[in-house]
Amino acid sequence: MTSYWNDVLAALALYPARPEIEALPLRSTAFATLYGVRLTSLGPYRLFGYLSIPAGAGPFPAIYYPPKYQSVLEIIPQGTANLMRSRYVTFALAGRGQRNADTPYAALFPGLLTDGIDDAASYVFRGIVADSVRGLEFLRSRREVDAARVVLAGNDIALMTAALTTGATHVVTTPTLFYQTAELAPKSHAYPLEEINDYLHLYPARAEAVRRTLAHYDLLGLAPRVTAATLLMAGAPSTLLDGAALRPLATALRGPVTVYESQQSLYKDGLYSERWMAGQCGIADVQSILPEHWRD
Amino acid sequence: MVNDRAEKYRSRVRKPDDFDAFWDHVLRQAAAIPLEAEVVPDPLRTSEDVEVFQVFYTSIDHVRVAAWYCRPARRAERTPAVMVLPGYQMDPPIPKEWARKGYVALSVAPRGKLRSNRQFNPGYPNLLTHNIVDRHTYAYRGFYVDTWRGIDFLLSRAEVESTRIGVTGSSQGGGLTITTAAMRPEVCAASAGAPYLCGFTDAIELTHTYPYEEINDYLRLHPERRAEVEETVAYFDGINFADRISCSIIVNIGLQDNVCPPETGYALFDRIGAANKRLYPYAGHGHDAGRARHSAVADAFFARHLLGREGSL
Repeated sequence: MTSYWNDVLAALALYPARPEIEALPLRSTAFATLYGVRLTSLGPYRLFGYLSIPAGAGPFPAIYYPPKYQSVLEIIPQGTANLMRSRYVTFALAGRGQRNADTPYAALFPGLLTDGIDDAASYVFRGIVADSVRGLEFLRSRREVDAARVVLAGNDIALMTAALTTGATHVVTTPTLFYQTAELAPKSHAYPLEEINDYLHLYPARAEAVRRTLAHYDLLGLAPRVTAATLLMAGAPSTLLDGAALRPLATALRGPVTVYESQQSLYKDGLYSERWMAGQCGIADVQSILPEHWRD
Repeated sequence: MVNDRAEKYRSRVRKPDDFDAFWDHVLRQAAAIPLEAEVVPDPLRTSEDVEVFQVFYTSIDHVRVAAWYCRPARRAERTPAVMVLPGYQMDPPIPKEWARKGYVALSVAPRGKLRSNRQFNPGYPNLLTHNIVDRHTYAYRGFYVDTWRGIDFLLSRAEVESTRIGVTGSSQGGGLTITTAAMRPEVCAASAGAPYLCGFTDAIELTHTYPYEEINDYLRLHPERRAEVEETVAYFDGINFADRISCSIIVNIGLQDNVCPPETGYALFDRIGAANKRLYPYAGHGHDAGRARHSAVADAFFARHLLGREGSL
């Protein structure tokens, strides 16, 4: 691991998490209890997450949703059957800047991807990655969690977290932000990568500094540290991050890898991912925890 | 089979007798408030081909609403416009791609969204049930008006061809497209994808996913308030707005939509009053509502109705 990430983890370790956990009756059901969790990360910075614990005797498989690239923190991803909370412990974390963790720093979307990007030491994602690591540390500390079945599901941050700390047994990752970013951004007009283009258009003299920062975050550099079984969600064929583009990443991962190319259907893509996670976690009756309109 | 079942579904949604009177009163309240539009150039987001501005205007309850405004750097003196409306959880996008297609484009951040949340911020989850027992203060009363005021902003701009205004969005943006097309006769073309906020009381029985699940959460904790909740949402249901739509409109839905049930899409489409309407149901698709295939359809639809390119849809 590079000294950059060693320094981040060492700095994070200086701050205990000091979690506060409070039940949220409005979002609790007969099959799962929801809790709001506050905990400290690098900075120090106080974060917020939603922890859902199934009713009954555990331990349970767990799904950890690291910070997403959006302002809203979801309890579980939009469109996921609420009944999924009956079978998995779920923990969704707001990184610094997202809603519920936006004091004192409120992120802008678009805007977050380039906040401080010309200096790796102050780049905002240095803190967000640390936040994500702290979230996994917290989840692993819960006695309800089966340590042999811990899935990280998200974008690049999920894979980075699996690389930087122990505890992830499985990863579902959809690279979006930090795979060959400097090279791929100029080929796209779509946000969030367009943020890089906007930034360099206004500050062309900072291009080399941006490239240096992004090099620390490139998934290709972190992949050899990932031993978890990984489902790599690629874009549809002929898109910027399709299976062919991600092949070097798939090769660099040390654990078993499944590459899935998007069929440009949230139903087909989502169903594949849900079934993969259930299969890896030994949940036989996945039908019962799928959304109604996805069942056979 | 999914198609059959969804198409034959009978919606429970009923229009309150004073629905029009309620909204006419809200519109009068809104009309009394000056728009006070502010247009601020955004050099960070501007490029050679698209000029980008941050826009702010005042809406009902004197809430200040933000928006992104894009226009082609090279354009006619008066240019057709498209208003883009956001999903429930998404951060409103900068609509550069619409400017690149030749439109002036406005992407509204209704109250509670980032940059519009200083005076009103119930959060997510919560927006859907904020004051849901009272139609006069329910979150979506102001939220809807914020989007309709976007049309007032476009009409205030000299570069906008006021007879060629379109509106589009998906999910919540699809629902807001329905309500905007219904309430603003200046809209001449609308494209709604996977419309949310249509068939509230149907959806909470058909699916148990967020965001609709927020209402089930609320009713589980407060079962005694069900009648008040059902009374309120009837005033905000896109299905009850639909008969007021007279512009050309297309609607796309996914038959495996796990967020906005396709049953509600069919029920909505059935109630749309426009003579020129078309439904695009996509089998094998969920909440994307066939976006990858449908985007070309929507582009051709707007090219015909806003840019006057015959041969398009």
